[in-house]
Amino acid sequence: MMHRRSFLGVCAAALAACGKPAKIRLALNWKPDPQFGGFYAAPYQKHGLDVEILPGGAGTPTVQMIGAGSAEFGIVSADELVVARSRGNDVVALFAVFQNCPQGIMAHASRHLTSIGDVLKEGTLAIQHGLPYARILEKKYGFDHVKVVPSPGGDISAFLRDEKFAQQCFVMSEPLQARHAGVDVTVFPVADIGYNPYTTVLAANAAQLKGDPDRAAAMVAAVREGWRAYLDDPKPTNSHMHDLNPSMDAATFAEVAGAQKSFIENSRLGAMTAERWTTLIGQLADLGDIPQAMPAQDCFRSL
Amino acid sequence: MKKFLPPLIPLVVIALTAEVTVRSGAVPSYLVPAPSAVLRALLDSRDELAAAMAKTSAAALIGFALSTLTGVAIAVLLSSSRAIQRAFYPYAVFFQTVPIIAIAPLLVIWFGYGMKTVIASAFIVSIFPVIANTLTGLLSTDPALRDLFRLYGASPGVTLVKLRFPAALPQILTGLRVASGLAVIGAIVGEFIGGQGLGSVVDVARTQQRVDKVYAAVLLASALGLALFGLINLISALTLRRWHASEATIE
Repeated sequence: MMHRRSFLGVCAAALAACGKPAKIRLALNWKPDPQFGGFYAAPYQKHGLDVEILPGGAGTPTVQMIGAGSAEFGIVSADELVVARSRGNDVVALFAVFQNCPQGIMAHASRHLTSIGDVLKEGTLAIQHGLPYARILEKKYGFDHVKVVPSPGGDISAFLRDEKFAQQCFVMSEPLQARHAGVDVTVFPVADIGYNPYTTVLAANAAQLKGDPDRAAAMVAAVREGWRAYLDDPKPTNSHMHDLNPSMDAATFAEVAGAQKSFIENSRLGAMTAERWTTLIGQLADLGDIPQAMPAQDCFRSL
Repeated sequence: MKKFLPPLIPLVVIALTAEVTVRSGAVPSYLVPAPSAVLRALLDSRDELAAAMAKTSAAALIGFALSTLTGVAIAVLLSSSRAIQRAFYPYAVFFQTVPIIAIAPLLVIWFGYGMKTVIASAFIVSIFPVIANTLTGLLSTDPALRDLFRLYGASPGVTLVKLRFPAALPQILTGLRVASGLAVIGAIVGEFIGGQGLGSVVDVARTQQRVDKVYAAVLLASALGLALFGLINLISALTLRRWHASEATIE
């Protein structure tokens, strides 16, 4: 047994010496679209990395995947990461693409609603009930007067058919679709109720970070460069992503890439602060999603 | 006791192995929950789970009943002539291959959120085995007996009720056994999209990374499937005991 292990060790060392980078998997939680633009634009090879991007879909458990080691890096949201940590899944945030949470509730503009509370006064709300902000809304306003139904993902057909129908959305995605379909909408960002977690966050498991800190640093550097490039000129990456995900047309790619820019731009792309994490941890503890608060410093690394 | 002991042994062995594996840390608890954690989730959320279970059971039962009635009726119709069978049977196969997860959002548009969508989903996935098995049963009546009925001038209706249908019962019941489990799956898939019941509990628990609660709900869903299966077996024993080899008690 010992022999085999040392033999493998020699092989690994030999491979490393060859300079051939080991394949790294980056698990996305959705199909290739502008929210991942920088990851597709990143010059991984320049940083000595060989990265394979694994597109996901609805409910891809990226946080469990990086915990279990079926991907080295993954895209998660900050609240998901805090909850995972409280359950013993030692994952750490490295780079937060969206500095402000792009999630919101959209309603028909013809209803003349002025606040998120108004949305909950009548009609139907399609929302993932398990999400923390759904429960913050419930706590704050109650769901007694609105019929809560499961979120249809990115599908807006029920919304278009029913004026009293509101649904959770990415503020730069579904509202654009609705306007294209000729329906004017009002969008209420969830950040308005004080819930503003980092989203589209690059994360990895802590044991792996410890084992190879240089690789994580190289990854973050490549991703930061990728996002800079994508924000400056999304065109080439968009056409590549459009090939991978033809269901989203080229015009929408361009439009979304433009609309999301203000959520991403930051003096230092991807940077996170302990204050923001502390606020989030406090909110999740209040909701009972985590049994007790945890140190913010454990949740992220600045690389 | 002798009857219940054999299935209990694998249950205990598997549960204990899972418990030990998770407790020892070989598999992290956020991937597979310890059986004790699942039991605790069952107890802690018993009111919520009981209410969800009631809704899912109702939807699965209604969907199953509908597919039994409709499925048998369609099979009788198909068995009446080769021409009808050739014309319509291929379309029955549609129900077997329909990817329910893909059309479930459409069901919401047709039937609205809630019970009707869930029942429709349970119905769609469970009807095909009823049609296929009933049809096979109706078409494999002993030719000698059929000749006998014809010889005595029995009408097609009498032949159906007195001969072909009873002779097809073993196959029909096999179809119902398969359909019962599918009806539960169909109901849960419908609930993912239509809201309510165990499907909704699973959806919410998954978002909250509560693996223990997901498994608790899944456990209840299997219990429901098992109960339906047991019901069919009971009917099977009562109707077939006197004449069919599959239910004859071996002494």
